Amino acid sequence: MNGSEELRTVQLTVDGTERTVAVRPGETLLETLRERFRRTSVRQTCGIGVCGSCTVLLDGKVISSCIKLTELANGHTITTAEGLGGPDGQLSPVQEAFVSRAAYQCSFCIPAMTVAVHAAMADPEVRTSTERVREYLAGNLCRCGSYPQILQAVDDLVKSQASQGLEADGDR
Amino acid sequence: MAEAIGTDPAVRDAVQRVTGTLEFVLDHRIDGMAFGKVVRSTVPHGRLIGVQTDEALREPGVITVITGADIQQDPGIHEYYGAQRADQPVLAIGKVRYAGEPIAIVIAESQHQAERAAELVYGEYEELAYVTSEVQARQPGAPVIHEEWPDNGCGQWRLEHGDIDSGMRRADRIYSATYHSPAASHVPMEPFVGVAHWQDGKLEIWTSSQSPYAVHTGMRAMFSLPADAVRVRTLNVGGGYGSKGQMRIEPMVACAARIAGCPVRIELARDEVFYTIGKHAATVDISTGVLRDGTIIARRISINYNAGAYAVTSPGGAGQGLSRAPGPYVVPNVRVDSVATYTNTVPTGPFRGAMTSQIAFAYESESDRIARDLGIDPLEFRRRNLLRKGDLYPTGEALKDLHYDDLLDDLADAIEWRTPPGSSGPDIKRGKGLAVIIKNTLTPSRSEAYLALRRDGQIEIRCSSVEMGQGAAITLVQIAADALGVSPDRLVIGFPDTDVTPFDTTTSSSRTTSSMSAALQSAAIDLLDQLARRAAARWGVDPQGIDHRDGVVVEGAKPGRRAPWASLLVPDEAELVGHGVFHSTFGLSQMDPMKVHGPVSVHWHQGGAAAEVEVDTETGVVRVLRLHANCYAGHAVSPLRVLKQNQGCAVWGLGPAMFEELQYHDGAVSNPNLSGYLIPSIMDVPEDLTGTAIESSDAFAELHGVGEMAAPAIAPAIANAIFAATGARVTDLPLSPERVLAALDAARESEQRGSA
Repeated sequence: MNGSEELRTVQLTVDGTERTVAVRPGETLLETLRERFRRTSVRQTCGIGVCGSCTVLLDGKVISSCIKLTELANGHTITTAEGLGGPDGQLSPVQEAFVSRAAYQCSFCIPAMTVAVHAAMADPEVRTSTERVREYLAGNLCRCGSYPQILQAVDDLVKSQASQGLEADGDR
Repeated sequence: MAEAIGTDPAVRDAVQRVTGTLEFVLDHRIDGMAFGKVVRSTVPHGRLIGVQTDEALREPGVITVITGADIQQDPGIHEYYGAQRADQPVLAIGKVRYAGEPIAIVIAESQHQAERAAELVYGEYEELAYVTSEVQARQPGAPVIHEEWPDNGCGQWRLEHGDIDSGMRRADRIYSATYHSPAASHVPMEPFVGVAHWQDGKLEIWTSSQSPYAVHTGMRAMFSLPADAVRVRTLNVGGGYGSKGQMRIEPMVACAARIAGCPVRIELARDEVFYTIGKHAATVDISTGVLRDGTIIARRISINYNAGAYAVTSPGGAGQGLSRAPGPYVVPNVRVDSVATYTNTVPTGPFRGAMTSQIAFAYESESDRIARDLGIDPLEFRRRNLLRKGDLYPTGEALKDLHYDDLLDDLADAIEWRTPPGSSGPDIKRGKGLAVIIKNTLTPSRSEAYLALRRDGQIEIRCSSVEMGQGAAITLVQIAADALGVSPDRLVIGFPDTDVTPFDTTTSSSRTTSSMSAALQSAAIDLLDQLARRAAARWGVDPQGIDHRDGVVVEGAKPGRRAPWASLLVPDEAELVGHGVFHSTFGLSQMDPMKVHGPVSVHWHQGGAAAEVEVDTETGVVRVLRLHANCYAGHAVSPLRVLKQNQGCAVWGLGPAMFEELQYHDGAVSNPNLSGYLIPSIMDVPEDLTGTAIESSDAFAELHGVGEMAAPAIAPAIANAIFAATGARVTDLPLSPERVLAALDAARESEQRGSA
């Protein structure tokens, strides 16, 4: 190959904004998000889809952006940790739970961890039980060992979800 | 002013930590920078005949390819570096000493181009016999890694206390065993990453480092530069655990930028992080002489740390291990020999609980083996032998401020030691175990700090302590606030920058809370004194009569005259600066390594752990049901952060205890990524993961670092719980199902022999 690789045009919605971008064949979504869109919350640790530091949502589903080709995300919606909050910078309930439990140490893995928790809490099969959310997080590694605080944050969310669910049931 | 120490103020960047905008060097960019990709040796030991770069140089975007020869030809570069022995080349010269050693750097306009061209660079080798085991590397005829060190010696120390031979003669029983810990990898989630830039003969380097001044010192030596011609900057560090405590990739980044003539960024891929630094494998021979009542009267220990291919901090590290090897017990007759040995493996450095976990696994496993053999409860055996205030440690110093009784009581309470473990079935056995350890902090060392009072009344902390998630920044704010008697809101703190922040040896060895706080407290005294003298001069009174209250100077005797601190700045004065230094000048490095005697550290660390496990005796699978970690904290600056450090130590310790092992096949690491090298996930964490900070009742007690106290106790606590459950004694980490099964078989055999 002689470097005359043709760039391919890809359309993505990233954190609510539609983007058209020309990418290299073989370019990963991680590279596109970091290098072209400056999403610093998406980080590479292992590069092989094992550690979870690069977790983003593709149409609401958790993926490892380090092993996803950007071309294959064409036409899809991507949400990073930086897109979880409200438009004026309000934190999402997941982010608030992490802040209130100080669920971080070096914090390199934490934004991706919040993305995974966000997806878990959007899943009616998962969000009712801390244990099930915990299983959901098996692929998000934290070397500092902030797991106890992360589990506390999850527990807060599960409980708050349950009490909201009760209210909703009462309305019916 | 309410005291800030002892409270849990929120960190100021909590939102950035969670949303992902926290600043890391990983995100730092410089205009016009190029990208470097390192090419590495594929053989563990060989003469490097040449490095083929022609094809790579023809690739698009490639600016240049640098080899060891280019670095050797540059008269402005000392091509070898190392804090204790300058034995490591920036890029291999003439020889490669481990698989994964850097042999070339491709520099290109983009990361992608650099990576692609790097695949076309290869070394030509004449392979040599290699050795990866520290024991084999010491045998006659072993391959020689460095010609200057024909016995592969990389540090040798001896500690003698009492009379080991007569102690062993007087013992009723002598227990001997050999324990082994494998190499492991730190796996900071943020890889090694740096950006270097040369401008008008001055080097500026941004790097993810725990020790900006270690890099500063190293860069000055490498390029023969005065202090002001090197500027080292760090941001938040995404995990260190000892891996980022010395120069790592900075020599490559700086040389690449110098030779390419443009700024260069290098970020290592994960396998390269595994090839850069690891934990010392170690073989520990231990013999303990005891009286029938369980009193330890003699202990002989021989440690062989596997240094890997380059010295890094192993020569001194072997001495640190030696000073901690007798354990937290009164042992009247001791002999410790500690060596580090070169092998053809990845270089090694401190690994959270540095140099201590390997020996604590040995001596705390022995505690339980001896106790069981003598029919003594393991907790009681420890109590009989514990170091207590004023006891003589084998280094010849009487230790003060010891709290092992409290630590043991806390472990026993947390694990409900007196309550027998439950049962889950005939093949599933439960057991409880505990361990206590002694460690000490790096000595000698130096920390300096500035406290700069600004015109807006804020006070800026300038120091080179690194925030890597342990909470150093907010800890130092709390400490400075109390030292000045102001609210923490008055204090601001930035990142280390050697042009601005003064010298600090390192952010490691659990030294920051103690050493940097001492520097800050002395800077506060200096600043308060300057302010008092200014006010006294203004009012024409004796400075002795001046007091400070919440950022205001007050005239003590005659209430009335008051002056806010900032009002004492003279016109055009931007700030008033207090300067403080903490400096310890004694320690191991000042001693004859073969006759260690005297105070070795300013600060002794005390920690412990307790575990309850379930062992499936059919499969050897161990489940850790409960884990408790504790430490002596003096006064906890933040109870929540101490808890997080204790729990973090427990999670950290779980990995090397249960499954972490850097494996070598054909002389090369065979599991250099997280698919083959597992670290603890949220599923590995026991439901019950607790921690305790033991605090002093003395208001003037020292502040203690707490970052690694419990870590070395985790593996022996779990191994002891397995032993209690099954009688199986595993002497080689990790405690994998295979090893547990083998130990179960051995235990059954010895039981049958005993009953036959």
